[in-house]
Amino acid sequence: MALDSLCGFATGQPSFKAFSSMCTLQNDLDVFSGNFKNNLQLMNPPAAHIPELEAMKVDYKDPLHRERKTPYGFYKSPLGYGPMEVPDVGAATAPSPGGGVKIQMAHGTTTLGFKFKGGVIIAVDSRATGGMFIGSQNVKKIIEINDSLLGTMAGGAADCIYWERFLSKQCRLYELRNREKISVAAASKLLANICFHYKGYGLSMGTMIAGWDKRGPGLYYVDDDGRRAPGNLFSVGSGSTYALGVLDGSYKWDMTDEEAQELGRRAIFHATHRDAASGGVVRVYHVKAGGWEKISEVDNDKYWEKYSDQKMPIVIN
Amino acid sequence: MANPQGLSFERFSTSIPAIPSAPALGPMKRTQTPVTTGTSVLGIRYEGGIVLAADTLASYGSLLRYRDCTRLHKVNDNTVIACMGDYADFQYLLSIIEQKAITEDCMDDGFNITARSLHSWLTRVLYNKRCKFDPLWTTFLVAGTDEDDDGQKKEFLGYVDKLGTAYTDPVIATGYGSMLATPVMREAVEAKTKNGGQLTEQDAIDIIKNCMTILYYRDARAHYRYEIAVVPTTGKARIEPPTEIKGDWQVAHLIKGYE
Amino acid sequence: MSMSLMRPGGFSYSELANAGPVEHQFSPYTDNGGSIVAVAGKGFALIASDTRLSTGYSIYTRDQPKLYPLNSNTVLGCSGCWCDVLSETRLIEARMKLYKHEHQKEMSPAAVAQMLATILYSRRFFPYYVSNVLAGIDAEGQGVVYSYDPVGHCDQNLFHAGGSSGALLQPLLDNQIAHLNMQIKPTEPLSLEKAKGIIKDVFISAAERDIYTGDGILLKIITKDGITEESMKLRHD
Repeated sequence: MALDSLCGFATGQPSFKAFSSMCTLQNDLDVFSGNFKNNLQLMNPPAAHIPELEAMKVDYKDPLHRERKTPYGFYKSPLGYGPMEVPDVGAATAPSPGGGVKIQMAHGTTTLGFKFKGGVIIAVDSRATGGMFIGSQNVKKIIEINDSLLGTMAGGAADCIYWERFLSKQCRLYELRNREKISVAAASKLLANICFHYKGYGLSMGTMIAGWDKRGPGLYYVDDDGRRAPGNLFSVGSGSTYALGVLDGSYKWDMTDEEAQELGRRAIFHATHRDAASGGVVRVYHVKAGGWEKISEVDNDKYWEKYSDQKMPIVIN
Repeated sequence: MANPQGLSFERFSTSIPAIPSAPALGPMKRTQTPVTTGTSVLGIRYEGGIVLAADTLASYGSLLRYRDCTRLHKVNDNTVIACMGDYADFQYLLSIIEQKAITEDCMDDGFNITARSLHSWLTRVLYNKRCKFDPLWTTFLVAGTDEDDDGQKKEFLGYVDKLGTAYTDPVIATGYGSMLATPVMREAVEAKTKNGGQLTEQDAIDIIKNCMTILYYRDARAHYRYEIAVVPTTGKARIEPPTEIKGDWQVAHLIKGYE
Repeated sequence: MSMSLMRPGGFSYSELANAGPVEHQFSPYTDNGGSIVAVAGKGFALIASDTRLSTGYSIYTRDQPKLYPLNSNTVLGCSGCWCDVLSETRLIEARMKLYKHEHQKEMSPAAVAQMLATILYSRRFFPYYVSNVLAGIDAEGQGVVYSYDPVGHCDQNLFHAGGSSGALLQPLLDNQIAHLNMQIKPTEPLSLEKAKGIIKDVFISAAERDIYTGDGILLKIITKDGITEESMKLRHD
């Protein structure tokens, strides 16, 4: 023991100890659920030091942002967020049993957010897909970070929820430390910094952070590359192109609250109609000076007759 | 480690060096492939104990490199383990297990490693190594007779592989044995135990011997010399001296289509 | 997509025959199959698993239930890569013991649900390849079901099918329990007996069409009075 501490061989480091001393409950707790102590710190991929896999590791300085493989073969498909793949489970001894293992996370989405004179509108669908399978039709893709901040999720559902939950904690700590609410800019930057910290590890997130602070309405786009951008209008996810078509056709700064809410709703509806990976219910939130407000949560099916009857889009003056 | 106040017998078991993996030795090397390997091992639970069997061959690819390697190990009077896979990894784990057994013996408190606890310990070791991407390329069968809460001796037969996959079952075979021997063993056990019948030690040994012969005929990495271990609930575990299969290749020339 | 009689993992016997020396390559994952179904109702929660543990075409054992009673009001069902199941459930049990001793009370299903999500996410870059379904009774005595993806996305539902037959059984449950997109909606709330019947029926169907599900099922019934269990035999082929 004395030699261990003298030489600095700590548990978790390359060690000369026999397994008997490593196979303890405490070791398992520390190594396999380290995020209980510090939830910013996740267990690293064990493959990081394997030469063959090292070659697959991401060079995030690559200016071309080429499609790439991360240590575990998690990949980002050219269209956005692909399923996470683990290399085929090969042979053990003899003709090995055990099939190819593919880990599929929930993904596929339409989310949008825009500023207008009355605040920020956030609208989303609620479908989660794993491969071609619809995992859920009732996912809450708007995450209520606190009374005045909202986050949206596109990409890996677990990634978005975990980190936005973490962000929620950080925002509360900020309030306690500084006796004032965190700005949308600062909150979104916290998230962007996390994304940058884990860049190349295969996180899959495309989010918008919306809120109201002393500068007025705020809307930021943050993604897994660590990108962060303020803006008036965003749409993220596989159905975003369809949503943008509707949005751009009718968007104006001077809309009434009802018109703006209806625009968000229509855009999501039409995106879910054309994009197979989007669907479920349309959720609309409105961020105002006093905080956000939930406007509506209605099944797509209910809107079908309403929107299909309308030959022309509503005219917004 | 566990007891900072006084002398701890655990220190014995921590003194066995693991494979050095310090950065100074260059890029870390891991066993991604087995080298010297043993093939299938079999185990059956009967009414009153467990029978294990493994041949004595350690192959080097297709070479019959070491023909007299025992792959059964008696841990104590009521626990025996058998191993398939990389022989070096087996020996490495064996050295730790032997040290554990000695440590237990030194305690002299009437307690011993039970098959159940050894099985559980192996799952942790193998799983932890798997998680480091540095597997111990082995599959273990752990056989034993443990006392339950009522002091009654119960048979235990467990499986652990290099990933840490573990289960218990009355009939277990690894490797090619899982394809060639398991159906034979399951059928034989079912035939003996239906209508309230019991499987005796001799029945179990007979079934195992039959399966070892089948494996010898069809598994190219199997050997004619093999060992059987018996772990009875009454009496001590024993590993029988190696027996040999007298091959009968009369039918060989009838098999066509593989020329 | 064409039907294939080959192993899903990709080797065919013809490839095997033509192969040179057997290639050994280590992969930390394997799929050991198994299915979990859970249903929540008024005053009860049911969770069931099959008892087959397999790898490829081999059956390891026909008697391995995949349910873990965590305390008097929560049961976890896990299937997938069995070594991950064993490790993950041990970690949960240890964590729950620490919680119990620290707070002098049992964890509520909601607390277990959040903890499980966090545990799964801690392995985000080397995931537990496990399909988790958690069933329990909340403080009001109502049944709750939580389902997870391998990296810890948690979803609260009234019913869920996970594991190798998950994609096969979920539509059956959608139809039989929620009557989703149907004109006629159920007139009375789901009873315990009805839920039990549906679970048994869907497992019989799964055993018919999924090679990784069969042999038998273990069903745990969680009510405010505690947990009871039932079992049933399935096809053995």
